[in-house]
Amino acid sequence: MTKEEYIEIAIDTMKKGDADAAAANMNNAIADGIDPAELLSEGYSAGIREVGDLFGKGRMFLPELMLAADAMKAVSAIVEDEIAKKGGTSEKKGVMVLATVQGDVHDIGKGIVASLIKTQGVEVVDLGRDVPAAAIVDKAVELNADLIGTSALLTTTMGEMKVLEDLLKEKGLKDRFKTLVGGAPVTERFAKRIGADAYGEDASQAVSEVVRLLG
Amino acid sequence: MSEFFTRLGDGAAVMMSEEDIRYDVEDGTADAADRGEIPELSKEEIDYLVEILTMPMKNVSVERGKEGIMTFDAGTLKLPVRAGIPVDRLATLMMHERVLCSDTMELCTTDYSYKSIKNFVQEEAMTMELAQNNCIMPIFYGAMPNLGQYTKPDGPIDNWSELLPMGKIAEARAAQEEAVEHAVSDMVFITGQMAEAGACGIQFDTVGASGDADVLAALMAAKELKKRFPNVSIEMGMAGEFNLGMHGQLEYEGERIAGLYPHKQVKMAAEAGVDIFGCVVNTNSNQTFAWNLARALTYAKACVDAADIPVVVDAGMGVGGVTNTNTTPTDVTSRVSKALLEIAKVDGL
Repeated sequence: MTKEEYIEIAIDTMKKGDADAAAANMNNAIADGIDPAELLSEGYSAGIREVGDLFGKGRMFLPELMLAADAMKAVSAIVEDEIAKKGGTSEKKGVMVLATVQGDVHDIGKGIVASLIKTQGVEVVDLGRDVPAAAIVDKAVELNADLIGTSALLTTTMGEMKVLEDLLKEKGLKDRFKTLVGGAPVTERFAKRIGADAYGEDASQAVSEVVRLLG
Repeated sequence: MSEFFTRLGDGAAVMMSEEDIRYDVEDGTADAADRGEIPELSKEEIDYLVEILTMPMKNVSVERGKEGIMTFDAGTLKLPVRAGIPVDRLATLMMHERVLCSDTMELCTTDYSYKSIKNFVQEEAMTMELAQNNCIMPIFYGAMPNLGQYTKPDGPIDNWSELLPMGKIAEARAAQEEAVEHAVSDMVFITGQMAEAGACGIQFDTVGASGDADVLAALMAAKELKKRFPNVSIEMGMAGEFNLGMHGQLEYEGERIAGLYPHKQVKMAAEAGVDIFGCVVNTNSNQTFAWNLARALTYAKACVDAADIPVVVDAGMGVGGVTNTNTTPTDVTSRVSKALLEIAKVDGL
């Protein structure tokens, strides 16, 4: 099969959330001499982005999204093994601490973001909801995290994101952690105003921004 | 080129040219049409919307004869809780009736979930009776199905928000199906108590906030209530512009619930016995007010066109084109009201 055919199957397996078929396609492609990293990027990652878009339009649903994320994890594990076999490293790309800010108990969206970011080889430590800024910072320091992501659904709680930014500055930690914010009332303008490093309008953009921030 | 005062979706004030406003209106209606698979606004409707958006007055109003019904969900939370005015719920209802000209109102409690209310429903029933004795306008009782409250640690059922990320999809789906039974039972019980106390209607608010199982619970409760209390009006207000598929496979009368947009939600609701449908369209903080209002109108118009029952549109903070700001600007709310009533021809707000 050609690389394009493997890519087409890869996208299809993501949309179907079929981990076994996704893994079999990757293994067959590797046996055919296809670069697994390229297939991961052009096929599976493209597929999961498409899944995210369909989810955003209400044409795919949360269980299917979770199945797709699981399929992505299965494929990523194969790629990591393959890289290791060739003497490369399959180290995780970074560590991210993620939380819904204090006063806010909405975490459906954050859970989706966490699942999709994990598919990119990033270790995500989800602290849950209603988490005080100080607890988020303490955990990030403890884990020597690269990124801090926060979510808020309410206009009354999004101010906690600024509390976090101020706390990082106060403790001299602003340069140590990159920060990403998101949630329905949060905008790119707000993110810039409070000094956050990045903004994710939806799960798909959050993933792109995490990849960008981790360089 | 002259510019007009308008806003962004997060309420920030901006000046925009008529050409830019028109571009956003066209883009907003196209987005709704694409997502909902419904018609875009017509050229005449777009022209009129641009006219409303560029009217020089700070506040605008509807033409005489095109007024709509005005009601408030989470009604008795507005003044005493959100505005912090020290008045009790009965005084709130009377202020809404006699000062703010509400046509109907909802009596509710701070713990706005049917599961919580069953613990003190008799006290709520007494307040309802007092309200009925003091008000002329129809008074509903309302709360949310809020299926999440039936999950551990708040309730007896396994938490699907924890099961789903673990890949336990069958278990997560079974938990949601179990929660539906509890929620239906609570909604029917509370409505019965309120009907005894003289409630004119029951409101299921923010339906779908916990996903498609939440919607199924409200539909099943409506169907049962229509049989038991045919004179109690049932209002169903949604949580978002499409039903979130937390389960994904639930059906009502053979049709999948997840992913339905307002024009299909309303048909399903009416079939279940709902008398008044509350259409919800989410505001995108990153887009302009013009984009958001055009989008809200497109969904609302398709919903009204499809409906056999009255449609009210949720026109509060973050929905219906209204900006995401704690205190919504009246230049925004008045334009939303005018456009929804005159262009989408909704029955109320």
